[in-house]
Amino acid sequence: MTFAKHTVFIRNKSQANPLPSNATTWADGKEAFSHYCVACHGLDGQNTGVPFADHISPPIPLLTSKDVQGYSDGQLKWILDNGISPSGMPGSKGTLSDDELWSIIVYLRHLPPAGSQGTPEMYNP
Amino acid sequence: MKTRVIRRGMLVAIMVAGIFPGCAPKAQSSPRRIEVTARRFEFAPAEITLKKGQPVVLELKSTDAAHGLRFRELNVNVKVGAGGTTEVQFTPDKTGDFIGHCSVFCGSGHGTMALTLHVVD
Repeated sequence: MTFAKHTVFIRNKSQANPLPSNATTWADGKEAFSHYCVACHGLDGQNTGVPFADHISPPIPLLTSKDVQGYSDGQLKWILDNGISPSGMPGSKGTLSDDELWSIIVYLRHLPPAGSQGTPEMYNP
Repeated sequence: MKTRVIRRGMLVAIMVAGIFPGCAPKAQSSPRRIEVTARRFEFAPAEITLKKGQPVVLELKSTDAAHGLRFRELNVNVKVGAGGTTEVQFTPDKTGDFIGHCSVFCGSGHGTMALTLHVVD
């Protein structure tokens, strides 16, 4: 299934990220990620503090995993735009701008260590 | 005699300046002010044409939630609180079409909020 996703279902493999991979873009990506992605992926992209991460099927992947990092930047953008059905990953085209989505990909390529960002505010008592 | 010639010369110069005001030296022009209204999920106006090198002040007014307006290529980013007004001054230094986006997450249509700047010579 992973092979099929990487080679058939997830498109846009050749598109390059138009944004530079630098500290400014990374910070932009982290901010955009914190608005829309943290509820399922945690602030660190590794599910820290997400109470249901291990209780849904399919489980929410660690964004540092080989499976996720094995996608090209273009494929990650396609996933962010369109989501992955039938998993719980929603598409966010229109909810976030292209600029924000590309900056998120820079953030995904350089995620902070697991647990270093704490628990998302929405899950704090 | 000399004084009369000078006076006549000054008079002619004043008349010429009155007839051709464009030829007189201009004072430093003040920045062009443009009011932009931000609301979920649009900017009004959605397109603005500017001249390269002409200073401009964008006055960003929110009528609902907190919003922002960012032109990455022009190094412009301004944020405004809910119902507030703020402004940013800049001088576009390159020509082209530049798309600015809302830079403060404001809801489900946030990603579609865009304003296009046409910068011309």
